[in-house]
Amino acid sequence: MKRNSPWIALIAAGALLLAACYESPGVTRHEPGVYKGESDPLVSKLESDQGLRDSLNRRFDGQRDR
Amino acid sequence: MARMKFLCDADRCIECNGCVTACKNANEVPWGVNRRRVVTLNDGQPGEKSISVACMHCSDAPCAAVCPVDCFYTTDDGIVLHDKDLCIGCGYCFYACPFGAPQFPKTEAFGARGKMDKCTFCAGGPSSDGSSEEFEKYGANRIAEGKLPACAEMCATKALLAGDGDMVADIYRERVMRRGGRPQTWGWSKAYGEG
Repeated sequence: MKRNSPWIALIAAGALLLAACYESPGVTRHEPGVYKGESDPLVSKLESDQGLRDSLNRRFDGQRDR
Repeated sequence: MARMKFLCDADRCIECNGCVTACKNANEVPWGVNRRRVVTLNDGQPGEKSISVACMHCSDAPCAAVCPVDCFYTTDDGIVLHDKDLCIGCGYCFYACPFGAPQFPKTEAFGARGKMDKCTFCAGGPSSDGSSEEFEKYGANRIAEGKLPACAEMCATKALLAGDGDMVADIYRERVMRRGGRPQTWGWSKAYGEG
């Protein structure tokens, strides 16, 4: 019995290690064509900042021939 | 809401490559990557024409359609941008783009290309506006400062126009009316011949 005890301890440790390899059954579903990254602060800035919009419009118009 | 577009007037472009230099300087684009380039048709022959080409910020961008990790997004103003944190450097966007806009900084063993880089219309990326992180990854964010892309603003002959599509079209229309015709660099006769 004493000779078997290291083996029992090893098997118990192995079982514990394998138990840590549990895989979650919850799947992350991929939605094709949907942007997955973080949002760009420029998008909201362009929507709300009228001063920025006016500045851009002035520059657009500056491309006309004099 | 504007719809941002580039337009290169082939009758005005003198192939000075000022736009290429301005882009590389403003965005500190690494060696081997050209976000913009000047293409000359019939080079060295009478009647040669040059056009400056970069990302055209397509309305229905093929690069975004083929991206397996969906790293592309389009702003409300029609600027096509991408997130380099998501890009896996697969190169599908390069194959899909008809303008050769997506560029890759590396050519290493096993086809490792690095993160894709392309023209951002000088609008940076998804990092916070004007941050050093944004500049390092995507280059300058001139749009957030109320400025147009460096290439267009540096064009000496105003061949390269950038901005709201309606306004760009209006400027070009005025020029064509003054000239009495549009350049026949491309179009029906170029594609299909006379008749």
